[in-house]
Amino acid sequence: MSTANLRSSEPYSLTIDLALEKFGLAIFLGLLLLVASLVSPVFLRPANLLNLLTVAAPLGMVVLGQTFVILVRGLDLSVASLMATVAVLATVFKATSNEAIPLIFVAAIAFSAMVGLVNGFLVVKRGVSPFLATLATMIILQGIRFSYTGGAPISTLPPGMSTLATGRLLGAPINLWTLGLLAVLLGVMLHKSRFGREIRMVGGNPKAARLVGLSPDRVTILCYVICSVCAGIGGLFLLGYVGTVSNWVGQGYELDSIIAAVMGGVALSGGRGSVFGALMGVAVLIVIANLVILLGLPIEAQQIIKGVIIIGAAAFYRTRLS
Amino acid sequence: MSALAVVFHRNRLMSSYLIVAALIAVLLVSGAALSDRFLTLRNLSNLFQQAVVLGLVSLGQTFVILLGGIDLSIGALVSAVTVALASFLEAQPDMIVVGLVAVLVASSAVGALNGILTIALRVHSLIVTLGMSSIIFGAALMYRKEPGGSVPPVIEDLAYGSIGIVPYTAIALIAVYLLAGLWLQRTRSGRMLYFVGGNYESARLNGISVKWVTVLVYTLSGLCAGIAGIFLTAKTGVGDPRIGSALTLQSITPVVVGGTILAGGTGGVFGTFLGLLLVSMLNNLLNFSGISSFYQWVIQGIIIILAVGLRTPKRD
Repeated sequence: MSTANLRSSEPYSLTIDLALEKFGLAIFLGLLLLVASLVSPVFLRPANLLNLLTVAAPLGMVVLGQTFVILVRGLDLSVASLMATVAVLATVFKATSNEAIPLIFVAAIAFSAMVGLVNGFLVVKRGVSPFLATLATMIILQGIRFSYTGGAPISTLPPGMSTLATGRLLGAPINLWTLGLLAVLLGVMLHKSRFGREIRMVGGNPKAARLVGLSPDRVTILCYVICSVCAGIGGLFLLGYVGTVSNWVGQGYELDSIIAAVMGGVALSGGRGSVFGALMGVAVLIVIANLVILLGLPIEAQQIIKGVIIIGAAAFYRTRLS
Repeated sequence: MSALAVVFHRNRLMSSYLIVAALIAVLLVSGAALSDRFLTLRNLSNLFQQAVVLGLVSLGQTFVILLGGIDLSIGALVSAVTVALASFLEAQPDMIVVGLVAVLVASSAVGALNGILTIALRVHSLIVTLGMSSIIFGAALMYRKEPGGSVPPVIEDLAYGSIGIVPYTAIALIAVYLLAGLWLQRTRSGRMLYFVGGNYESARLNGISVKWVTVLVYTLSGLCAGIAGIFLTAKTGVGDPRIGSALTLQSITPVVVGGTILAGGTGGVFGTFLGLLLVSMLNNLLNFSGISSFYQWVIQGIIIILAVGLRTPKRD
């Protein structure tokens, strides 16, 4: 917070380095889009782009939440497991009519908030490292989920769930609207509100935050709750997209969401990062994944190219050593 | 009691050790009560056979975490080693030593590359090693997409053989942990690792070659993954490009349970060894208990929380 103020009052000279650091991600994303459209004429077709955005939206929701936790020097490994558990929770009502959808959402959000509270409590009040606390909730959720389903996939879902995830509203996927709404909401909260300033202060310097009378504990716990709720909502949308609850809905999202946030300039050391940057990080990851598929290469080459681009992207705009 | 509280407060690391040790003791007692086959030499050697791979990768991860980084390429690297070794030895069953040396050199080189990239690009190790993980996975898939290959019986002996009653795996595990402990505590480069991990800038300003230490640490992590890969190949007898993928996250658990902090500079291999014992013994005991694996997950999660949540929270 204070460093940001200091920086903006410094004499401003636009060197290449500074430009790269500031706009590197956007430039890289632009280059990536250019390459993708050159490589494959399919890429820029509206159908492909819309499909891409539909796939990206649930990950985007998770990344938004992950950003808040990383801002307060944490990370949340339980998001993927929570997504799958929320997906299972959605089937508990055995509902087949769309009237149950609000109930499903309320239950999912309440359950997610509870998980977030537990994570936050363990981290703040018991001093458990975020990695272990959320790893433990990840494993516990996995156990609870599997002991309910017995490991079998379930598909009793209101038909409206998949409409929500794959349907269109005014030409754009509904889940993209939802992501947009969430992003605006959280963006305003983080960048314009008092609470957002508190988050960045607590993340940037917890000691100083405590000294000026803030409550780092309360702020941190709230960030974990926000993260879990975002993951829960993301889980419901991903569930609608996939159509059946496989017990592993969202697998891999825990690392992907952290990577996307970090690529988007959210510093693991806390305090620095933006909602917009995090979403750009998601875009970079998704376009890379789409690009290697469009290239029509075998999976091994896809993996190698993906790795090279991830390292290259980070090197290009230098996610600073923290 | 208050004296104990003071000790706990003064020495966070010691309190981690004591709590993990106490949990291990609880597991031992309940294991003995649960089954008379639990506290047998046979089961103990089983325990080491199961723990050796995780133990080796956790050791490498300990070095990296002490430095303040994290190595997400471990799982892919272990898988790639099993693929390379099993494929090579299937074709050339007589060139065992060549094969072993080659995979160790290659995995160390991958580790070194992680370190060099981290420094040269000034990118967080999370990103570098994740990218590397994807590259290694792709390379392993080029070799073979499904599990396959084979190893001569001599190699399999590494995992299942023993000197008298002491299995090779136990000897290997304890030996590398002792060596690692000695290195960290007694040598200049080992102490430098703590300094760099604790405060990178001040270590650099004090004339410590932070770049050299960084490359060394990632190289060691790669080497550990290489040795782990050899033991894993010995255990399963085949190369499998996906076999190690879960190890990446698993490797971090014993480290952090043992009191090493992800921010770097604090902790050590003794804690990791205790953490490893706790995790392995818990898995072993849960297998004995006949509890459904679903509930086993719940119990594992609770034990992790207990191991770390019980110690005195630090105040900033």
